[in-house]
Amino acid sequence: MKNIIEVKNLTKKYKELKAVDDLSFEVHEGEILGLLGPNGSGKSTTINCLLSLLNYSNGSIKIFGKEMKPDSYDLKSKIGVVFQEVSVFDELTVYENIDYFCGLYISDKETKKKYIEDAISLVGLEDFKKFYPKKLSGGLLRRLNIACGIAHKPKLIFLDEPTVAVDPQSRNNILDGIKKLRDDGATIVYTTHYMEEVEILCDRVIILDKGKILAAGTTDELKELAKIEEKISIEVNDLETKYIDKIKELKNVDDVKYNGNILLITYKKGKNNLVEIMEYLKENRIKYNKIFSERPTLNDVFLELTGKELRD
Amino acid sequence: MTVFKTFLKILNKNKFIIILYTVFLIGFGGFNMQTSDNSTNFVASKPDIMIVNYDEEKGITKDLIKYITDNSNIIELNNNEEAINDGLFYRDVNYVIYIPENYGKDFMDGKNPEIKIKSTGDYQSSFAEMLLSRYIKVANIYQKSIDNEDELISKINETLSKESEVEITSKLDTDGLAKATFYYNFASYSILACLVYVICLILSSFKDIKIQKRTIISSTNYRKLNRQLLLSNSLFSIILWGVYVALSFVLIGDVMFSNQGIIYLINSFIFTMCATTIALFIGNLVSNKNAINGIVNVIALGSSFLCGAFVPVEWLPDGVLKIAHILPSYYYISSNESLKTLEVFNLETMQPIITNMIVILGFSIIFIILTNIVSKRKQKIG
Repeated sequence: MKNIIEVKNLTKKYKELKAVDDLSFEVHEGEILGLLGPNGSGKSTTINCLLSLLNYSNGSIKIFGKEMKPDSYDLKSKIGVVFQEVSVFDELTVYENIDYFCGLYISDKETKKKYIEDAISLVGLEDFKKFYPKKLSGGLLRRLNIACGIAHKPKLIFLDEPTVAVDPQSRNNILDGIKKLRDDGATIVYTTHYMEEVEILCDRVIILDKGKILAAGTTDELKELAKIEEKISIEVNDLETKYIDKIKELKNVDDVKYNGNILLITYKKGKNNLVEIMEYLKENRIKYNKIFSERPTLNDVFLELTGKELRD
Repeated sequence: MTVFKTFLKILNKNKFIIILYTVFLIGFGGFNMQTSDNSTNFVASKPDIMIVNYDEEKGITKDLIKYITDNSNIIELNNNEEAINDGLFYRDVNYVIYIPENYGKDFMDGKNPEIKIKSTGDYQSSFAEMLLSRYIKVANIYQKSIDNEDELISKINETLSKESEVEITSKLDTDGLAKATFYYNFASYSILACLVYVICLILSSFKDIKIQKRTIISSTNYRKLNRQLLLSNSLFSIILWGVYVALSFVLIGDVMFSNQGIIYLINSFIFTMCATTIALFIGNLVSNKNAINGIVNVIALGSSFLCGAFVPVEWLPDGVLKIAHILPSYYYISSNESLKTLEVFNLETMQPIITNMIVILGFSIIFIILTNIVSKRKQKIG
């Protein structure tokens, strides 16, 4: 598979602090790579280094097989970036904004006109072409932000948390748009804090923390890394402590918590855990209302890898 | 072209500000032209004089009183010292002449009798003293050679009635030049305010860190974009200057077609370029759009007041003028003021104006250097 991005031993230091520490990874053609990490993990620094917005201390970055430099205008013409902050002119309308940013890449008038219309259509802003940004809702602004970043039909797109503070309708629209971009052949590097988006969109995920890669792979591969295999929650009224202690001794059980009337059992490994616990409840004539079994989510893996302490 | 087109679109959104400052210029500048009193007629003022005569009103004494009466306003007050002192204090009278007893006889006898006076000490009283002194000097000269009183009086009057002929060689249109100077002085405010406001607003949009990041990562050379932006701003400045110059031709066309007119044009062009560099410097320094209004007021209004764009320079205190020396507007206005009286155009007479222009260009170079420093510092994101 062709690599669109090749990063080798990338290190970025701020005096003594290593914001990015010996990072190496690839992004394959046509995939959506999710870049995950808590605040301050080095995601933005990595992207800024990739885009030559920042000088880096060590390592190499190749995009489309060529070394990326601040004056690599041929490479830049194939790259689109959607920043987390909405970056548009307040004085220009939706159409004029897209026209300006597309004009930085495309000089041919007719091509540009077509590309602008395509971008407007992709993000669903057909009815807002003449609106000024101040008149747009948060969701529409985000969509305009995306349109400005991708209007020139780039082959490589960096999306930095494009759905922050967006309503569910706009989010769905944005996610559909991103899928369409991928289907049209673009390679996408996607940064977000929303795990469900990663599970829906990303072909591969890299989890970063303290400038280092903690884990990389598909979402299923990452879930394999979790210590737990299964979580079973049971709604039980007035469960005696002796039963809780007994459950802890059952096969494969890692931990048991009883809060309110919810009994939460986490399992390390194994199969048929749900059948076994149901049989145990039946044998001991313990009445229960509802019972759920779920596999660990990406969120569980993320928290397990990066820790649960609060970040800045 | 992308930058220029966007520049024009943003400019179009702010056209009302440009119109507003132009209206200020026409309104205030034009209004002043209608009301400014630059009359070229001269009417000599007459001092208020009181004559207290203790002599008989005949002969030389009568003639002296007639001469003073013809050339002044004679004031009648009660002939007591208290009333006379009050009259002087309240400026009812500027000068009091006491003609002593036997003045006429003593004068004809060559005794040079003393005439006592009281005066307010102001310029009107000086003029009264000149009248008295002139009569006595002429009378004294003739008295030495003429014994006959009637003949003496006749000679004195003949001499005093002679007037010097003054030929005015200057062909300056002082009225027109005063109007032009006021217009161009006021234009310094409109040019500076308009350029700082518009250029700062446009730069704050283009130099917004988020927009800048998006621009840097694009395939267009960032330096090329900056050059386009600089050219757009310069072009706007030239167009604004052109509009204000065209207005001056409409309002004061006669002066603008003279030699002074050309100097007004050159001086205002150099000032416009300097104002552009100031605006570019501030635009690179300030990113908060809400602060721009305040900055325009401080810079444009402040320098216009300090340098004499609204108030004549001669009215300003020395302390204010000292501060004004650090502002380009001072040198621009100073040149305009010089043009009011400049008639001969050569290197010697033009030297102060040329020096002022060089100083303004020096300011421009300083602001260009400062802009480069600020711009480079801001570009260093990492």
